[in-house]
This record gives sequence, C-alpha cells and structure tokens, in this order.
Amino acid sequence: MTAHAGGVMPVEPPPAARESLQGHYAGFASRFAAFVVDLVVLTGIFVLVLAAINFMASVLTGKSIYFNQGNTWVLVAYVVWAFIYFAHFWGLNGKTAGGALFGLQVVTNDGGDVSGRRAIGRTLAFPLSFLILCLGFLGILLSDQRRALHDAIAGTVVIYSWDARAARLRFLSRPRYSAPRPDRPAGIGPPTDPAR
Amino acid sequence: MDPLAPLRTLGGRLTPPAEALAQAIAERVIGLVVGALDVNALLAETDLNAVLEQVDVGRVLDRVDVNQVLDQVDLERLLDRVDVNRLLDRVDVNRLLRTVDVTALIGRVDMNQVLQQVDVNEVIGRVDLDAVIDRVDMNAIVQRVDLEALVEQTDLGSVIAKSSSGMASDAVDAVRSRTVGIDESIARLVARLRRRPYTGPPGPPAGLWTGAAS
Repeated sequence: MTAHAGGVMPVEPPPAARESLQGHYAGFASRFAAFVVDLVVLTGIFVLVLAAINFMASVLTGKSIYFNQGNTWVLVAYVVWAFIYFAHFWGLNGKTAGGALFGLQVVTNDGGDVSGRRAIGRTLAFPLSFLILCLGFLGILLSDQRRALHDAIAGTVVIYSWDARAARLRFLSRPRYSAPRPDRPAGIGPPTDPAR
Repeated sequence: MDPLAPLRTLGGRLTPPAEALAQAIAERVIGLVVGALDVNALLAETDLNAVLEQVDVGRVLDRVDVNQVLDQVDLERLLDRVDVNRLLDRVDVNRLLRTVDVTALIGRVDMNQVLQQVDVNEVIGRVDLDAVIDRVDMNAIVQRVDLEALVEQTDLGSVIAKSSSGMASDAVDAVRSRTVGIDESIARLVARLRRRPYTGPPGPPAGLWTGAAS
C-alpha cells in the first residue's frame, strides 16, 4: 500500500471481495443484516400507512384514530403485511429490499427460481425458526448448504447474487484507489490527483 | 694463322653427328632399362609415406596459384558430371548436423539483414489466420490476463468508473463486502469450534448457472 502525497491512504478492498462469491450460499451475518433491513422497511411502510389512515380519518371525520402496539387488529394487520411483503418479493425474484441491498437471493435447492407457492410456504415456515427459540437458524451456521429450518421446509437456499469480482474491478477503477506507479508510462492509466 | 684452327673446324663438323649419336644411344639405353624395370615392384618397395613426409606440402601449395587453377576449371561441366543425389545419399546429414554448433551459427547471422529481405506482408498473406485462430484457446488466454492490473493501469479503469453509478454503488459494494467478510469470519469460527477445516463458502447449487457462480 502506498501513501499518497496528501497522506490519505487508499482503501484496500476486504479480502472477501477479492474473489467472486456469486452463487455461493450466503452466511449468517448477511442474512441477518438483510432481515433487519427488511424489518425496518416493512415496519416503516406500515407506520406510514397507519399515519396516512389516521390523517385521512382526521380529515374526513374530524377524529383521530389512535393505534397502539397492543391493538390486536394492528398486530394482525402487521403480520399480514409482513406475510405479503416477504411472500411477494420472494416469489417475484427471490429478493426482498434487504436481500437486494446485501446481494442475496432466495432460490430453490437446485438453483432455480422460487415459485409463488414455494414463496408462500417459505413465508409461512419462517416464523417456525423463531418459535423454537431461534434454533431454526442454527442450520445457517452448521449445515453444508447454510439452510435454516424454513429453508429446509420450503426447499430453498439463499445465495450471494452479487458479483464481488466486478465490484472489485469497479473499486480498482476509482481514481482515489489507483495510486500513481513509478513504472507506469506517462499518459496511461486513470487520472490521479497528486494532491490526494 | 692459328695452328688450332683446322682442329676447331674438324671439331665443329664432328660435334652434331656425335651428339645425335649419343642421344640415340641414350634413348636406346633408357628404353632397355625401362623395359627391364618392374615399376610395380619398384613402387611396392617405395615407402610413399616417407616420401610424402619429406614433402613440404604447405610450401608446394604456397607456390600454387589456386585462383589461377580454379579459373581454368569448368565448374559447370564438372558439376554436370556429378550425380548430386547419389552424393547426398551417401552423406549422413544427421551426423553432419551434430557436428554443427547451431547456436554459434545463428549468432553469426545478422537477423536484421535477413528480416529486411523478408516480405512480411507476403508471408502473412500466405498464413491461414482462420486455421491459426481455430487452434487458439481464447478462454485460456483470457484466463491468463490479469484483469485487475489491466483495470488499474489502463484507461479501461476510467471507462468502468464512468459506466458505473458512482457513490451509491461504491457504498453498496462496501457494505456487501463487509458483511461477506463477517460471514466468513463467523464460518471460520464455527468450523474451529467444530474442529473441522474450513475451505471457503459452500456452493453454488448444482443447477445454478455456473457462469454466474464462477
């Protein structure tokens, strides 16, 4: 690693990004992070919808509707919305918002696209992994195909769908990363700012 | 009057017939001697090697004007009489080549001069490029290309940088790389706890498009 004139060190890509893992089974951290993002997204949308309903009710009737977490109907609506969210996106292309962000995709055991029926089955089986004290997720750490309980029930796996090698090439092509080399002929190579 | 003059006159008149007679006698004697000699037996008794050793061949050759000799030789006529094929049949070319120091020979060749005489365009024109390309394993060649060095050191990098979406894709790539790194760390830790060797992330699924999974 060579320091630039300005003292800013070029960022070295993580070792994991130095080879493409596209198609390999995704690990626990990526899947957990994707799930957290999905929770944030679907909860955010749900809250926005509730706020919109409250606003509409206050405009139309002059009375506000107060939703609270103990309200059974709110809870049921939230579960139904979560079911629609996951089932829809898994059946659509195997990617939820969190999965797309972290480059994950749900596919069948043999790498095929997930059908709508299989997506619904996976969504229904998903809570089971939580209900048994989250032991259903141990399969991600211990099984050869990194499958959780709901994966085993639905016949699905989760893979990395992003190309780490392409990402690394993009990374290397950034001027801030490409340090000037003494052996590089003048006029060849990406523009570099010596002030960096 | 010279008292010896009559004798000189007589001598002058007798000398030619005497010389002619002596010559005739000598020829006759030589003929008799040669006829009596067995030349073959004489040569058999002669040590030619000893004779040749006494001959200074170098000195002889120094006195010979080889160029003048060669000028008098009709090489064309000589070669016409030579059966070259038969001559070559008797030559052990392999043995001949074994004695040749090819490296030294090539070292003495002025390749630049040779190449100047070569019409490269004509040579290329005679090459069946399609046949050559058919024999080339392009995939193997591409595999040998250091893409990362290519992107780093050429304008291809800037082309890729311009074609990608910039900061957003950088951030996403960074986040993905970090989480994949954590995935691998967790997997290694689990493998160590289970006392199993970790050989990298498993996969891909058997039916997945292998091109994407490479």
